[in-house]
Amino acid sequence: MALLHFEDFSPGQKLALDGRYAVTAEEIVAFAREYDPQPHHLDDEAAKKTVLGGLAASGWHVCAMAMRLIVDGLVGKAAAQGAAGVEECRWLKPVRPGDVLRLELEVLETRAPTSRADIGFVKIRWDVFNQNERVAMMISAPMFLRRT
Amino acid sequence: MWFEDFQIGERHEIGDYTFTEDEMIAFAKKYDPQSFHVDPEAAKQSIFGGLIASGWLTVAVWMKVMTAHHTPEAKGLAISPGFEDLRWHKPVRPGTTLFFSTEITGKTDLKSRPHMGLVLNRNEARDQDGTLYMSIVTKVLREKKGTAA
Repeated sequence: MALLHFEDFSPGQKLALDGRYAVTAEEIVAFAREYDPQPHHLDDEAAKKTVLGGLAASGWHVCAMAMRLIVDGLVGKAAAQGAAGVEECRWLKPVRPGDVLRLELEVLETRAPTSRADIGFVKIRWDVFNQNERVAMMISAPMFLRRT
Repeated sequence: MWFEDFQIGERHEIGDYTFTEDEMIAFAKKYDPQSFHVDPEAAKQSIFGGLIASGWLTVAVWMKVMTAHHTPEAKGLAISPGFEDLRWHKPVRPGTTLFFSTEITGKTDLKSRPHMGLVLNRNEARDQDGTLYMSIVTKVLREKKGTAA
């Protein structure tokens, strides 16, 4: 299959990725122990006493899980040249043990810089859905792609 | 710490962290398995010329340093609705040590939650020479004094 290049993307285009990410309590706690050791990410009992109402994944963990879905579902099929950042991220719903995440992408903007003939920017909105069809996280982020 | 206790312009050096190839590869295998994050040999042929950390590891490490810094003085739960303007300015390579700082850049009231306010911080990661590697604007909800349930 030919890799997707910059020219294959246009604003308004939508793409639902096939991948699913099953979230477990073990992984939520393991990630949080290492990188975000706050009680609501570590301990269900402690988390019940917070506004989250129970164990929830670190938002950074949700970003990482979404990245995995992007790598498996898009980056491997595209002439991707990395990313330089994230414009905005909103954590909208807690991500809990037993949740199954999937990703829908929408192209917001494409831009071919005059300074580089080989690279184009594609700004993409990521909507991370849970199994109840609620958006748990939204990201808008530019990525670089090779031009044909 | 209450919403009222945070002052715009307040800046702290919160700690440093040295990235190892082992951690970079282990993290990326799980969450960001692109060749330049997981395979040192393949990374040499990439545009980066060698193995680099997933940007998501760099920001997770910022959180790790932040939580270690905040634990003693943190009072109550810090819930965040999200972040903006995360930039990976330079690739992080094995052995890189980054020094993290945080500065309060804004405070806003919330119409939807009168008992809370939003505190904005600009956070930076620089090496020992002061070169900027990562920056991010984070947002945290804080309770206002005397309004706690």
